[in-house]
Amino acid sequence: MAETAAGGKPLSWRLIDGVDRLVAAAWPRGLHGMNGYLFLLPAVALVFILVIGLGYMVEFSLHELDLATYRLKEAYSLTNYQTFFERPVYIRVLWRSLLAAAIVTLITLVLAFPYAYLMVRTTSAATRKFLLVALFLPFFIGQVVRAYGWLIILGKEGLLNSIVTGIGLPPLDLIYNYPAVILGLVQYMLPFAVLLLTPAVAAIGEDIELASESLGATWIGTFRHVVIPMAKPGIIGAGIVVFTLTLTDFAMPEILGGGTSDFIANAIYDSYFQISNIGLGSALSIVLTLVGSALVALMLMIAGTGTLGFAERKS
Amino acid sequence: MSDNRDPFRLNRRRFLKGSALATGALALPQFAFADGHTKKPSELIVRAWGGAWGESLQAGVADPFTEATGIPVRLDFTEDNEIKPKIWAAVDQGRVPPIHVNWDTTTNATISALRGVTVDLGDLKGLDGLLSIAKPTGIDGWPLVNTYSYVYVCAYRPEAFPDGPPESWRVMLDPKFKGRVALYDDGIGFNPIAVIAGGGSMSDIPDNMEPGYQFYRDLKENEPLLGEDADFTTWFQNGEIDIACTISVNARAAKQKGINVEWTVPKEGCKVDTDGLWIPKGLPANEEYWSKRFIEFAITREAQEKWCSLLGLPPVYPGLEPPADLAGDPAYPTAPADFEKLVSVPSPVLVENQPIWFSKFSEIMQG
Amino acid sequence: MSGGRSKAVVLWGLTVFSLVLLSFPTLIIIGASFTSGDIIRFPPEGFSLRWYERLWQLDSFKDALLRTVYVSVVCTLVSIPAGTLAALGILRYRIRFRRSLQVYLLLPFTIPLVVSGLGMLIFFGELRILGSLWPVGVALCVINLPFMIWAVSASANALDSELENAAANCGAPPVVVFFTVTLPAVMPGVITGALLMFILAFNEFLVSLFLVDSRIVTLPVQIYNSIRSVITPDLAAVSVVYILIAVLAVWLLDRLVGLEIFLRSK
Repeated sequence: MAETAAGGKPLSWRLIDGVDRLVAAAWPRGLHGMNGYLFLLPAVALVFILVIGLGYMVEFSLHELDLATYRLKEAYSLTNYQTFFERPVYIRVLWRSLLAAAIVTLITLVLAFPYAYLMVRTTSAATRKFLLVALFLPFFIGQVVRAYGWLIILGKEGLLNSIVTGIGLPPLDLIYNYPAVILGLVQYMLPFAVLLLTPAVAAIGEDIELASESLGATWIGTFRHVVIPMAKPGIIGAGIVVFTLTLTDFAMPEILGGGTSDFIANAIYDSYFQISNIGLGSALSIVLTLVGSALVALMLMIAGTGTLGFAERKS
Repeated sequence: MSDNRDPFRLNRRRFLKGSALATGALALPQFAFADGHTKKPSELIVRAWGGAWGESLQAGVADPFTEATGIPVRLDFTEDNEIKPKIWAAVDQGRVPPIHVNWDTTTNATISALRGVTVDLGDLKGLDGLLSIAKPTGIDGWPLVNTYSYVYVCAYRPEAFPDGPPESWRVMLDPKFKGRVALYDDGIGFNPIAVIAGGGSMSDIPDNMEPGYQFYRDLKENEPLLGEDADFTTWFQNGEIDIACTISVNARAAKQKGINVEWTVPKEGCKVDTDGLWIPKGLPANEEYWSKRFIEFAITREAQEKWCSLLGLPPVYPGLEPPADLAGDPAYPTAPADFEKLVSVPSPVLVENQPIWFSKFSEIMQG
Repeated sequence: MSGGRSKAVVLWGLTVFSLVLLSFPTLIIIGASFTSGDIIRFPPEGFSLRWYERLWQLDSFKDALLRTVYVSVVCTLVSIPAGTLAALGILRYRIRFRRSLQVYLLLPFTIPLVVSGLGMLIFFGELRILGSLWPVGVALCVINLPFMIWAVSASANALDSELENAAANCGAPPVVVFFTVTLPAVMPGVITGALLMFILAFNEFLVSLFLVDSRIVTLPVQIYNSIRSVITPDLAAVSVVYILIAVLAVWLLDRLVGLEIFLRSK
């Protein structure tokens, strides 16, 4: 393609040589031990923007609100953290978020794994494409609109209830409660989980499965002892992502919860915006971030390092 | 997608050129210096609520203002609670705030005034002729101007009340309406009513709110829905609820859209409140100047008549007739006798206690 | 083959359930967008394109859509190098504090969006870059970065390090190895990640809300603000426009690189 260059070498080669010389000059071989850190630098710097924001929140959280001026008082105090521990509502809401995160993660994984598995294993290209497209399209509909779709389906005079009442049963309360929030979240998280699981499933050789089954294992046995253990990095990765995103979700409880199934992110929102108490909101945020990070660390420890794709080199 | 929005710089340059000259129909002689302070901005941004609210402001104030001055008005539908931290951060950091005029609840506006981010509007023309409720209470000067009052009515589905409108708010506790009752998600508009419906009286507010909290606890058993303006409309039109405490404007807009909704003032009364307009600090001088002219225009007879009749709310400009469909409506108070049926809590009390009431409300409702 | 049948029944049963769950609300919204009435409802009242017409006539809609595309492109362009390098760095090199770094890089998911948004409002305000669109793109990159890192590292797991060593032993300079061996190997992950970043940026409203003003409002924020007061079928019509964009993107991807790329394994 680019073989017109004078020296006989393709243009692209010469370009790469040039870049290489530049890189060699700017980054001598002696520093190559630092390469990994250099690679991480941009991502670490980007996330640092959030750390700066978190820094502001730590500072805010240590001051009490003065209702006479709606500014934070000068003096440092732990009042906001005290409020968190003294008001049962915050503990309750945090607990509700944690429980939802666990339930949603479990259900999502149970649904996502077969989906990813079939998508990888199916021999029909058309089926595979259909499953992929069905996965991608709902991605483009925001949480708010999807929630509205649920209202039409699950509402008191919605599609499902019109069937229920049609056969003579009393209408069901299907929406504006905790299960509705869980359902909405599972639907939202499912595509993420499938996409996170797919590479892990794809990495399992079909021959290994066949070998297991030819040795007399049932498919359930093969799944339990071969497929799932081999897909563990993907499962843990998907699990962590779904868990953390659910734990900090705001929109689904807001829209599908009917206002009485708030998560901790809603309580934070209310503190910041409804009652203009940035100190209290910040304290709640710090607590949530610490709890979330601690749980992630715990999961990583239990699962070993081969998670979220950040596997150790297999050597 | 231009990034250059440092109006200060623009303003100074034009000021030096000395080319600016205010010529609008609204430019008052005493302000019409031939300098940059009255230079017309390319547009004014007014934060507003959407739907029927925004349409009324557009038709009643913004469009006529543009016609009179040539300055386009852009409505910004950011939620009132969400624009608050954006304005506060801008003022704290010495940046130009994101809007020119904020259309806000009086309580929130008063909070911003306490925070010191509002411009004093005492020099506005036409303030003297307004009803006394136009002037904010419990705070010095005119950090905001109230522009109308409104009532948090009891809206209901007539099909659910074949024997006539509900007479008491306590009907919300009837197991028949389990899961079919709705309130604002911050308890706004209902806190004092809950006290009275719970067996207390006006004199209990704010020191003894326990009857109200007890009412909320009983109501919680009935699984109420909590939402915002748009939710009430959605819920009524989808048959999700039978009764709600909402601003009359929403109920009227729903009715005008063909949804079967009526409203009433039960025997315990309804909360009456006001909304107002204010200007954030930190605007370039000419933009602040024209923002003031905008508010001045909003309290003229012409604007008040059109804006408030579209909203269906009693204006602060005296002597205007209610729209035909609201004449004699308890949710459109005009005479002193009308106001006696309504419950009004002074702004200072609201500002000081709203956070406390809210915490208690959410503690009960999130249980 | 009863074992094979029960396997197929269980797996397909769960997958069909997922398919229904995924597509049901979408189909309802598509149907409702063609209503001639004023209310989002299914089945729709009559058939009309009036809500699409209304959208089309709205200049603010087209402007907001363009801004959204711009913001999403910035987000994707920033995240591709940052996410790819981070994934390779943590995977291919000896890094100390690996686990702490993983927790650190997951902060975008463990910090609630409201908090991230507010923090960036204050920080970007200090930097005096509010009011421009590009910081919004950067912000959206930050809050979704773990997806990009994941996508790349998932495919990098399959990368055979022997191949890199072989290339290096043959005298290929590191930059050449990177561009001719490493990068092509993780390309499926880069594409998956880039698509995810684009989609997520295209829909994000909570953080964007704090970083835009009405002069530079993006479509998701405009939608979010408009539904705070009243919900009309144009909301459903917007969603269908989104779906059309999605169909176009997926079709293009299929034509250009083939959808199989998501499933490729080495």
